[in-house]
Formats: sequence, structure tokens, C-alpha cells
Amino acid sequence: MLHGLRRMNLKSGLLVLCGLIMVADLWLIFQVAPTDAVIGDVQRVFYFHVPLALVSFLAFFIVFLCSIVYLVKRSPAADRIAYSAAEVGVVFVSLALLTGIIWARPVWNTWWTFEPRLTTTLILWFIYAGYLMIGYAAPNRAKGALYSAVVGIIGFIDVPIVYYSVVWWRSIHPAPVVGPMAETGALEPVMLNILLFSMLTFLLLFVYLVMERASLRRSEDDFRAIRLELRRASP
Amino acid sequence: MVTLLQTAAPASNLAYLFAAFAVSWIVFFAYAFFMSRKQHEMEREIRELRRSLEENQPPDEV
Repeated sequence: MLHGLRRMNLKSGLLVLCGLIMVADLWLIFQVAPTDAVIGDVQRVFYFHVPLALVSFLAFFIVFLCSIVYLVKRSPAADRIAYSAAEVGVVFVSLALLTGIIWARPVWNTWWTFEPRLTTTLILWFIYAGYLMIGYAAPNRAKGALYSAVVGIIGFIDVPIVYYSVVWWRSIHPAPVVGPMAETGALEPVMLNILLFSMLTFLLLFVYLVMERASLRRSEDDFRAIRLELRRASP
Repeated sequence: MVTLLQTAAPASNLAYLFAAFAVSWIVFFAYAFFMSRKQHEMEREIRELRRSLEENQPPDEV
């Protein structure tokens, strides 16, 4: 009971912090970040688009780690965290794709093109959408968790492919601005700082959403267990 | 470099900027709303199932 209350307070505190930090982030994006000389104001989508994509990579890395833990220990908590991170990760990667599509129209003069970064990201979306569906298609919960864990491990192979796609293949998508392949000085310091702040903002939002989803997943497990107990108890 | 970026005339594409931010916010709020509603629904159903379970218990076990 006390543990539950503490967790609820932590989630409420995190939600308030997310709200405050998001307001500060929007102020930085619209008031402090310089306007791009070539593509204009639409470049500000960058401060949402890049963090959404990078946080989704982190989400799928968590799925990968928790899937290994599940296969080794058969821990329900690992399955719960993996599933929650995958679902929130799919939301993030969907938004990264959507904001990218909206950004591409005025800049590339097309909504979509099958260039390497976009194509590998779309494949990533399909992999983790499939991961979420496997649980429902499996004959029982244990098998669903097992199959999902295997997909969670194999599917992660696509994450570095997405990141390095702009380096390995000729692409119209810009090169990475953060991470191991980012060029030094690729961004103005003020832009880089705002981007890092945006990443922190989306990271906090991600943590909050995963906590909420994991709590819902726990309730779903409890519901299933009680229903089973009731069936056994009924004459 | 910063001055150059700030003084150049930007292209008029605010509609796309608005669309990108609006889509992100709508999806986040819808997702959070869906989770919160589902959580309340689950809690209510769990309470009802527990009550049914207690009613189904033999008298000596209650």
C-alpha cells in the first residue's frame, strides 16, 4: 500500500516535472533557437524529430536488455518493462516518422521517399508493431512473452542499421548530429544545447509513459490471475 | 554564424511547423488518456472480480 502510494507520488511528480520542462523546451525552441536561413521556421521540427527518434532507439535497447533478462530468468517484471518500453517506443518512432514526413514536404518537396534512413526506420516500426501483436497471437501469456523476447532481441539489429544508414548508403537525409558518427561542430552551440535539452525533456516523458504503461500491464496481469482463480473456484 | 542565421529571411512554412507540433501533442495526449482510462477500467474490473471471488469462497475460508 505504502509502496503503491510512493510510486503514485513519484509518477505525479514526474508528470508535473515533464509539464514544466516541456514548457521551458517550447520556449527555447520558439524564442531562443535561431531561425534557419535556408529552410526557415520549419527547421524547428528538428528539436522534436531528433529526440523522438533517439529516445525510440533507447526504448528498443531497453526491450533488447529486458528480453535477454526474460529469456534467462523468466522474470515477469522484465517482460512487463520490455512490453511497456516497446509500446512507448512505437509511439515515439511513429511520431519521429510523422514529424519527418511533415518536415520532408517543404524541404524535399515530397512527403515520403524510399531512401535508406526512412526505409530502415519504417522497417523498425513494423518490427516493433509485430512485437506488440505477437503477445495477442500466442496461445498463452508465457508463450507470448517468450516469442516477444526473441523478436525483441533479433529486432534490435535494425537500430544500428537505422543510425548508420546515412553513413553507409548515399542518402538525402542529413548525417547524424549526435552520437558516435556526428561531426564536431555540425550544429551551432545554441542549437546543440537546445537539442540536448529537448532530449532530456523527451527522456523524462518516456520514463513517465513507461512507468504508466508498466503499471497498466501489472493491472492486466492481476486481472487475468484473479479471473483464472475465479474460474477455478466456481463450481 | 548565429547572426547570419537570425537575420536571413525564413521561408513561409509555418503550417508544416504547426502540423508537426500539433500531431506530436495530440498523439501524446491521446496515448496518455487511453492509458489512464484503461487503468481505471482495469481497477474497477479487478475490484468486481475480487468481490465475486470472495462471494464464491466457502464460508469456512472467508
